[in-house]
Amino acid sequence: MYELRNGFTIKEKLEILSDAAKYDVACTSSGSERSGKEGMLGNAVASGVCHAFASDGRCISLLKILMTNHCVYDCKYCKNRAGNDIPRATFTPDEICTITVEFYKRNYIEGLFLSSGIIKNPDYTMEKMCETLRLLRTKYMFNGYIHIKAIPGASSELIYSAGLLADRISINMELPTNESLSRLAPNKTMTNILKPMNRITGTIAAHRAAIGKDARMERAVINEHLVNSIFNSGADKPLSGIDGSSEPLVDTKSLIKTLTEDNTFAYPADIKDTRLKRSFAPAGQSTQMIIGASGETDLEIIHTAQNLYKSFDLKRVFYSGYIPINEDDALPALNTPVPMLREHRLYQADFLLRYYGFQANELLSKERPFFDNRIDPKCDWAVRHLCDFPVEVNTASYDKLIRVPGIGPTGVKRIVNARRYGRLNFDMLKRMGIVLKRAQYFITCNGKMLFNIPLEEKFIINSLADSEKKETVRIGGKDITIKQMNLFSDFNVMSS
Amino acid sequence: MNVFTCAPDLESILSCIYVAWSSGLGHKNIKIESEPIEQLSLFDSYTHVDKDHAMVQSVIDAVNLKISPSFYSDLAYISMAYEKDVPDLMYRLMLLGFAYGPGVINNTCYEVVVRFHEIKKRLSNESCRFKEVSRFHEVRHSLYVAHIEPKSRIVITLGPAFSDRMPSENWMVIDDVHREAVIHPKNSPFYLRTLTEDEFNELLMTEKENDEYTDLWKIFFDSIAIKERENLKLQRSLFPLWTRKHAVEFT
Ligand code: SF4
Repeated sequence: MYELRNGFTIKEKLEILSDAAKYDVACTSSGSERSGKEGMLGNAVASGVCHAFASDGRCISLLKILMTNHCVYDCKYCKNRAGNDIPRATFTPDEICTITVEFYKRNYIEGLFLSSGIIKNPDYTMEKMCETLRLLRTKYMFNGYIHIKAIPGASSELIYSAGLLADRISINMELPTNESLSRLAPNKTMTNILKPMNRITGTIAAHRAAIGKDARMERAVINEHLVNSIFNSGADKPLSGIDGSSEPLVDTKSLIKTLTEDNTFAYPADIKDTRLKRSFAPAGQSTQMIIGASGETDLEIIHTAQNLYKSFDLKRVFYSGYIPINEDDALPALNTPVPMLREHRLYQADFLLRYYGFQANELLSKERPFFDNRIDPKCDWAVRHLCDFPVEVNTASYDKLIRVPGIGPTGVKRIVNARRYGRLNFDMLKRMGIVLKRAQYFITCNGKMLFNIPLEEKFIINSLADSEKKETVRIGGKDITIKQMNLFSDFNVMSS
Repeated sequence: MNVFTCAPDLESILSCIYVAWSSGLGHKNIKIESEPIEQLSLFDSYTHVDKDHAMVQSVIDAVNLKISPSFYSDLAYISMAYEKDVPDLMYRLMLLGFAYGPGVINNTCYEVVVRFHEIKKRLSNESCRFKEVSRFHEVRHSLYVAHIEPKSRIVITLGPAFSDRMPSENWMVIDDVHREAVIHPKNSPFYLRTLTEDEFNELLMTEKENDEYTDLWKIFFDSIAIKERENLKLQRSLFPLWTRKHAVEFT
């Protein structure tokens, strides 16, 4: 099987094209639930499956590769930019299919994540990617998970086909503002990114509605109990910019409008793709923003993310701390450390939007546009709102309990369940697995706090910062770097 | 204390519970432990109980009818766990179930209920872990074999997951610790089999066979990591050493 093509063996191609794909952070295989079928290979599990963890601590769930690392574009932050002198390789569609199914049968992966540099032009590239997916679904009978990157600028027909063949489709936003995009990715435009993103949203909604599902994507159940959740409030109102009045960061239209206006895809590139009777991108769409390559504040980034969730109903927004690989005046210097702690805080804040009923402008403001390095965004919010605390665990509502630092959706569920049988005390909370390290400053049981602690901002910040110091240094420090931390255990929630 | 002891499988535990219950010694004076007993105590008296199908059936019927079938399936599920306190925990849970009905399983005010949930969660994590890290080897043409070394007898829980994943492949997952295997012939239902000494020894050789995709996987596994973000500590906490024994990427 190690035949020579383009001068490279399969081993060499895999090394080059996985190395080139590694900077894309999305690797989850979640969002699709599909049973296996006799005669086919694979299924899809809604919560996703991580098969391994690489030496950087990131989960490996999918065979993450580029179809080619040849690229005619010259995005300044990218290793594959046209101006870089690096080994270039291209996989054939059959090579990609063979590696995917053989890895899948050995339980190495859940499926394929296929991205690509732009070879010749966006349409040519997207067509080759579609051909690969079509082969995988029809010749190799692969029924597992596929995540495909849509190429900005590719025609609607090709993007429609890609979504019919894949589970998730994404277009990387890369940078949160038009200005940064034109400075760092001169061949890309916000319109080329947002237009297909909008059409993908509309098509997903139309396909969901056609099979009797809610047009909007499923969200964590806890959101049903949270009045303030971004997924419950103002979904059909036009979204505003950071200060609530100015131009929106992202051109937004409500989903209901989306369904009625002409912003769904009409025809696939190959009519056979519709005959497969697959829903269009059932696991939804996602995007990625690079953090630290341009000058945006955390507030701008998190606000853009919120708008993307609300207006484009994105399943996930990923944040990727910029790794300085290219020397360029427009970019941070080569020895700039990867902004791990900042990236971690943004992921924490993103969780607060998706699982805790927070809104971006509650977490940061124009006066305070960056997250605190010392404590996590939830603690940070809590100490600035001490008037809302302490919360009595025996009577507090979901909304109030979920905002207590140290208590996550699972903790809230356990508390609400247990208090049906009687009043709770601190011992019971501990037995139920509620960690009191942070929560102790913000709760009472039967009117009493665990210790006689002053409810005073500085005191609490210092105590919390002290207890989190080790973790903070670990993420932000020079010697040890860490990706995304262990968010899921931090927050006690499943990946999605 | 009167300690009733039995083999660590579900049927033996249920027989042991039956004998202990009917002993009339009083629930407070009874303890149920699985064998081997790690440390015998001078102050306790020990009674070994063998598996008995009639006793097993009568415990199952009592739990199903007087508590609920889902309560029974919870008990059966935790019986797979390796923890030594599981047989006694099952006994205490039954006491609560008979007294307060099936809903008591959610009342986390009882310590045994909290422990039950802890073990259930841990077991489900262990099972999930092996759904993730089991690695199949292709031996001969199109037969895929995986070896695992779990702490608990969870191999059976992998059957439904892998059957759904690969319904039209021949595969088996072998638990090297408890010497059981889940076997799945192509397009057929899977089954559990306790392996004989000879079968086990022969199957041990499968990992030595050359599989060309192992090398490709190792290449991918190494090149997908970002060296600027290396964090072996985090990798170790997410992918603990005890689960890596058969993960080919580390060999
Ligand atoms: S389009 Fe830009 S980001 Fe994508 S591979 Fe080419 S240079 Fe890199």
